[in-house]
Amino acid sequence: MLRLFKNWYFWLLVLLLVGALFLMSHTATHRENLSSIEKIIRETYTPMQRGVSTFKTRTGSWSGVFSDKGDLQREINELQKENQRLALENQFLREYRQEVDRLRILIGFEESNQDRLELLPARVIARSPGNWYRYLVIDRGLKDGLRKGMPVIHPSGLVGRVENVSNSSAQVSLLTDRETAVGVIVEETRDTSGIVEGLGNSRELRMINIPYYSQVKKGNRIVTSGLSISYPQGIYIGKVTSVIREPNGLLLTATVQPAVNFDRLEEVLVVTAFNREEFASVSEATEED
Amino acid sequence: MVRYLILALLPFLALFLQSTFFATYTLGGAVPDLVLIFVTFYALMNSAGKGAVYGFFCGLLEDLFTGRFVGMNAISKALVAYLVGRYQVNVFKENIIVGVGTVAVATLLNSIILFAVSLGMSEIFHVDSGVLTTVIYQIIYNSVLSVPLYLWYYNSVKSGWLRYNGER
Repeated sequence: MLRLFKNWYFWLLVLLLVGALFLMSHTATHRENLSSIEKIIRETYTPMQRGVSTFKTRTGSWSGVFSDKGDLQREINELQKENQRLALENQFLREYRQEVDRLRILIGFEESNQDRLELLPARVIARSPGNWYRYLVIDRGLKDGLRKGMPVIHPSGLVGRVENVSNSSAQVSLLTDRETAVGVIVEETRDTSGIVEGLGNSRELRMINIPYYSQVKKGNRIVTSGLSISYPQGIYIGKVTSVIREPNGLLLTATVQPAVNFDRLEEVLVVTAFNREEFASVSEATEED
Repeated sequence: MVRYLILALLPFLALFLQSTFFATYTLGGAVPDLVLIFVTFYALMNSAGKGAVYGFFCGLLEDLFTGRFVGMNAISKALVAYLVGRYQVNVFKENIIVGVGTVAVATLLNSIILFAVSLGMSEIFHVDSGVLTTVIYQIIYNSVLSVPLYLWYYNSVKSGWLRYNGER
C-alpha cells in the first residue's frame, strides 16, 4: 500500500480524476456555448465527417445504377400511385385550408402557424459515437445562423433540437435521447396533455404524466403541444402503441412509436424561426374555448 | 516517436469511425467502443499507471467531442485501464482469448462506472431494461471487433510500429 503512495503515476491519476470531477461539475448543466477546445475538436472532425457523408451519398446513387431494372420499375409504379393519391389529398386539403383561413379571419386569428416556420435544410454527417446519448451532427453551424435550442424536424415528424453549435456544424439531440422531454397532446382528442421522453432506443418513446381520466388509446396520434417555448405546435411525434396505468393509479403512461426513422435520417430541417407569441396566443385561446 | 504518434492517432481515428461508419452499422442499436478497446490493449501491454493516464486522455477526447458532461468518459476509461493494468502482470498475453476476454470485462466495467458516475452527479437518465440490453450488445460487438484488432495490436507491440524500445 505504501509503495502505491510512492508511485508518481498514482498521484498523477488522483490529480487527473479530481480535475475530471471539477470539469464534470461545470459541464453537467446545460451550457450556452461550447468551450474553445471543444469547438476546435468539432471543427477538426467536421470536414472528415462531411467527406464520408458525401461519399455515402455518391456511392448510394451509383449503386442505384446497378440495381435491378424490374425493381426500379416497380418502385416507379408505386411512387406514381402514391403521387396520385397525394395529389388528390392535396386538393381536399387546399379546400380545407381556404375554409380554415376564412374561419380564422372570422374569429380574429392570424394566419396559420405552419406558415411562420422558417426552415433551413441540413445534412446529417455523423452520429453519437457512444450509447448513452443519442444525437446527430449536421453540416450547419453558427455561420448559417444556427443557435442552441432550435427545433429540428423532418417531413415525417419531430427529430429533436439543436444542443450545441460550432462554426460549421451542430449537434442535434434526438427525441430518443434519455435527456429529451417534449410537451405533447393527443391530436384526436386535444384534451390530453403529457410529456414524451426518450428511452435511448430509436423504436420507442414514452409518454408520461397523462391524467387517469384521459381517453388516450392505441393508435392515437401524438403531436407537440406548443405550450413550451422550445417547439412549435402541432409537429407530429408518433402513434400510441399501448397505455398502462401507473401503480399510484393517478396517472397513465403510454408507449409511443416515433414517426421518424432515426436510424435512417440523412437530411433534416432546422426551424430557425417561429412566432412564439402567436403560438402562445393560439394556445391560450384554445384553452379558453 | 512513431509509436507515440500512432498511440495518439488511434483514439482520434476510433472516434471518427464510431461517429460515422459504426454509428450506422450498430448491433442491436449499440455502437462499439473502439476507444475503450485501444485503451484496454494499451493497459494490457503496459502498466496500470501508464494505462490509466492514456485512458484518461482518450476518454477526455471522447468527452470533448461529445460536448456534454465532460470528464465522465475520462474517469471511466482511466479506472478501467488502471484495473486492467493491475491484472495484466498475471496473464499470458499471447493468447487471443485473454485479449478478447479482457475487452469484454472492460466493456462491462466501463458501463458500470459510467452509470455510477452519472447517478453520482445527479445526471438524469431514464433507466430501464433497455440500458442492460445495450450494454450486452456492446460487449458482444466489442469482443468480436477485438479479435482482429488484438492480433494487429499484439504483433505491432512485439515487432511493429508500437514496439516498446526505440523506433523502427
